[in-house]
Amino acid sequence: MIHAIKVAQEERLFAGKSVSVAVITRGRPPGYLRVAFSAVAGLLRGLWLTLGYFWSPEAIVTRQYPENRATLQLTERFRGNLRFKFPNEKAQEDHAAFIEQLAHETQTHAHVAADLVREENETRWYHNCTGCGKCQEACPNASIKVFTRQGEILEDREVDRFVWRLDSCMFCNACVQACPWDAIEMTGGFENAVYDRRLLVYNLNRLAGPRINYIEEEENPEVRKRMVERRDRYGGQVPLNGFALPNLPPVPMPADSDSRAVDTDAQARLT
Amino acid sequence: MQFVHTIAAAAATNSTWAPQTLAQRAADSAPHSLWLTAGYFLLAVVGVAALLSFLGMALIYIERKIAAHFQCRLGPTRVGPFGLFQTLADTLKLVFKEDFVPPKADRSLHMLAPFLALLVPVVLLALIPYSPNVQVADLNIGILFITAIGGFGVMGILIAGWSSNNKWSMIGAMRAGAQIISYELSATLALLVVVLFSGTMSLTGIVLSQQDGWWIWRGHAAGFVAFLIYVVASTAELNRTPFDIPEGESELTAGFHTEYSGLRFAFFFLAEFINMFTVSALTATLFLGGWMPFHVGDWAGFNAAMDTIPPGIWFLTKTSMVIFVIMWFRWTFPRLRVDQLMHLEWKVLLPLGFANLFVAAVVVLTELYPYPLAK
Amino acid sequence: MTVHVRTLDELLHAPLEADSELTTQEYLVNMGPQHPIAHGSLRVVVRLDGETVKEVIPVPGYVHRGVEKMCEHLNYRQVIPYTDRLDYLSAIMNNWAVAKTVETAAGIETSDRIEVIRTIMAELQRLQSHALWWGVTGMDLGAYTAFLYGFREREIIGEIFEETIGARLTMNYIQPGGLMYDIKPDFAAKVKKLLPYLQDCVEQYETLLSGNVIFQERLRNVGIVDGARAVALGCTGPVVRASGVPLDLRATEPYGAYGKVQFNVVVGSIGDCWDRYYVRLEEMRESIRIIQQLIDGIPEGPYSTIRYNVELTLPEGIHYGQVETARGAFGVLIASDGKQEIPYRLHFRSPNFNNLWVVTAISPGWRIADFISIQSSLDLVIPDIDR
Repeated sequence: MIHAIKVAQEERLFAGKSVSVAVITRGRPPGYLRVAFSAVAGLLRGLWLTLGYFWSPEAIVTRQYPENRATLQLTERFRGNLRFKFPNEKAQEDHAAFIEQLAHETQTHAHVAADLVREENETRWYHNCTGCGKCQEACPNASIKVFTRQGEILEDREVDRFVWRLDSCMFCNACVQACPWDAIEMTGGFENAVYDRRLLVYNLNRLAGPRINYIEEEENPEVRKRMVERRDRYGGQVPLNGFALPNLPPVPMPADSDSRAVDTDAQARLT
Repeated sequence: MQFVHTIAAAAATNSTWAPQTLAQRAADSAPHSLWLTAGYFLLAVVGVAALLSFLGMALIYIERKIAAHFQCRLGPTRVGPFGLFQTLADTLKLVFKEDFVPPKADRSLHMLAPFLALLVPVVLLALIPYSPNVQVADLNIGILFITAIGGFGVMGILIAGWSSNNKWSMIGAMRAGAQIISYELSATLALLVVVLFSGTMSLTGIVLSQQDGWWIWRGHAAGFVAFLIYVVASTAELNRTPFDIPEGESELTAGFHTEYSGLRFAFFFLAEFINMFTVSALTATLFLGGWMPFHVGDWAGFNAAMDTIPPGIWFLTKTSMVIFVIMWFRWTFPRLRVDQLMHLEWKVLLPLGFANLFVAAVVVLTELYPYPLAK
Repeated sequence: MTVHVRTLDELLHAPLEADSELTTQEYLVNMGPQHPIAHGSLRVVVRLDGETVKEVIPVPGYVHRGVEKMCEHLNYRQVIPYTDRLDYLSAIMNNWAVAKTVETAAGIETSDRIEVIRTIMAELQRLQSHALWWGVTGMDLGAYTAFLYGFREREIIGEIFEETIGARLTMNYIQPGGLMYDIKPDFAAKVKKLLPYLQDCVEQYETLLSGNVIFQERLRNVGIVDGARAVALGCTGPVVRASGVPLDLRATEPYGAYGKVQFNVVVGSIGDCWDRYYVRLEEMRESIRIIQQLIDGIPEGPYSTIRYNVELTLPEGIHYGQVETARGAFGVLIASDGKQEIPYRLHFRSPNFNNLWVVTAISPGWRIADFISIQSSLDLVIPDIDR
């Protein structure tokens, strides 16, 4: 310290209140030699501090993304991409096991094997959403649009497409909080770079249909099947705020491992 | 005056070293074979060019790595093993970038300035004794030449700032001019101390004069103080933090090279790093014995053991140490203000330098060295 | 006390004074919107005479997004994420300002637990903000290493936020009637483990910058603003406290759990850059003290007293509430018509906007480098100015 810094505590009256105050004062500048000495000492102390960090590799804080992808731990509450909760855990596990077995049999990776599946178990996409639209109301910047339809079997409103616009979402978590049915969650997904902005409009539900408990109440598997209808991942409203680019070719829909059938309607709308 | 040629002359006659420069070899070979002479010249040119490009790459990489480790980071790791090819990639990028000249700039001067800035360190590279047999030319007025040429370096910066037709560049150039010219005084005073000690201006002569001990400790306090003054003053001449006010990123965006892009920007960048090397090499040569191994008076066994390490390694080690210190400064200290910079030079370093020179003269006249001179 | 500020137009068209003897001339330069000192995109037009600053005109508005107007179409819960994006380094405290205003106006009670957690979070955020500011000040003055050290601490506190809230920057954590999430069981233990480390870091800050002669010379006695002037300019936060005015809403009108803890309002003596610097360093220590007092006795209870989907309508009238953010008093003024769920009119009183105008008052006469010191000692966050 060139100039001694003192922090003195005192009580001061301010705005009609006695406030406990710490006053920073500085001493008078010391003599010339003293200044020179403490200046050099201060510089050396700084150098010593940085040298300490230089010699300690354990102090390095760099995390090498994407090399650390495998070990990257995001917290459970991390607010990344929005997604539907799929409560039929057994079906999920069965599917995963099936894919693993298939990969083992065909000597390929799991994601390749997943592409081989033609007929798959739709029950794993049963969801909690009733299409009530609370999330849509709660969203501060209209990133969510819930399309409902009149169900054939139950004759009630049910979710048709749950469209979430990642491009305008600000990850405030309002939709998740607003959902009375615990149907959606924010996840650890954050790698969202795409070349076409239209690919940032997601259809979150994979099945149009009623909430899972209504389906599971139904005993007849045939009726169950008729209650739901497949929906593709990218099947949103017209994106780009209504300004479709005239000369742009149709969006190449990424091959979605979960569905072979491409929503042609949606594709037609996008072009 | 007897003392003027004492040490260097004595050292040169008593020395076990027989330094030979490329220029000398070329001159010696001229009567026998002109082809050989031409070969030596070519070797000198190619050698300096190769050294230039290698140093540029290596120093930038080292600086980035050192900076990173001071800052708890890793630095470049992606391009090549340990990120070794990062600088190469950056250079390639700069080569392919547009060489933009502002419309209202003084075009010819704007294009010329980077070359002027690079010229000085390149010339100085030729004078540095890297090892007894690796030196392009040894001038008997070496120190004088270095000071004169070194002073020319500011021209590139001034011209760059002036010709860019940009207010930031102009402020940066003016700051650089004031700073470099001021600090040259102190640097020269520090150099004079060594000249006084060794009695010669030739760089090889100075190295030879340190056979029995380096001037940093053999010259009593005067040698050490001169060393400190030289390190501070030359850091200032390099425009590096804490004296980087001509570039002062947060003040002048990039100072004198604000308007430069592509290869010309790379030249300024290269010039800064080569300058850093030459300054460090000179510091090592003048105060730390250059390629001379660490000798202590008449400890014959110790000295012989030290001699087993090749002189080139000694030079490299000392130079890298000085480079590390300069980088260490940069990654620890904040930047001075212009008037504080001038205050430091004119009111602290310069008087100190004069006093130091006087003390050095007393030391030389009274021959108050730690142990007797090699006579 | 009046401060005359010329408009940009006046400045640009005013004749530049020429010194006939030396035939030098003053000149105008734009510092920003693209300039390292702009810290985002603040444009400052500076009239210079050589190196000396003659006049400074800030030209804000490059990050203007019309947040207040947008908020007139949003309900009170939806307003909160927008406040994250004003002074993004004090996101939690901005959230708190809205929540506090709405709670007071609508008469929503909160529990002790909620207030204690809010206070701890706000103080952690203050620490985080000051750590970053310290680093940025170092970088502005040329010590680049300081920047990374400051950022390191910021990230470490960010981890705590990420675990509890799920976000590191735009928190949206404090909501009317409570919090977004409850704290996790190991929250207190983690924070307690962090505090000694942060104390250590403050000591390192002292060593690396405070104790450095160059740094001291750059800040001491530069850009002095006295208390009366700071108050006249509407400054709050460390800027006004550095001038010796103990204006700290945490102490003068205690909210949250601030009434229950012992802490000092740190004030400076003369109001130069050094005081502004050191006030913040001391405030970090005070923040650590506040957290230390609260972290052991977090009461039990729910983390929100109202359900999320409950309709929030404020009574007709104008409601104002303010909190002390890392940069000063952040106020929220809501005009409600008593019928709708959305504010009829809304205004944010942002600390940075007022603090910004200090540069016009104190910069003239100093050099360019001092102007940098002054501006970084004010710790401006530009989106908060422009809104």
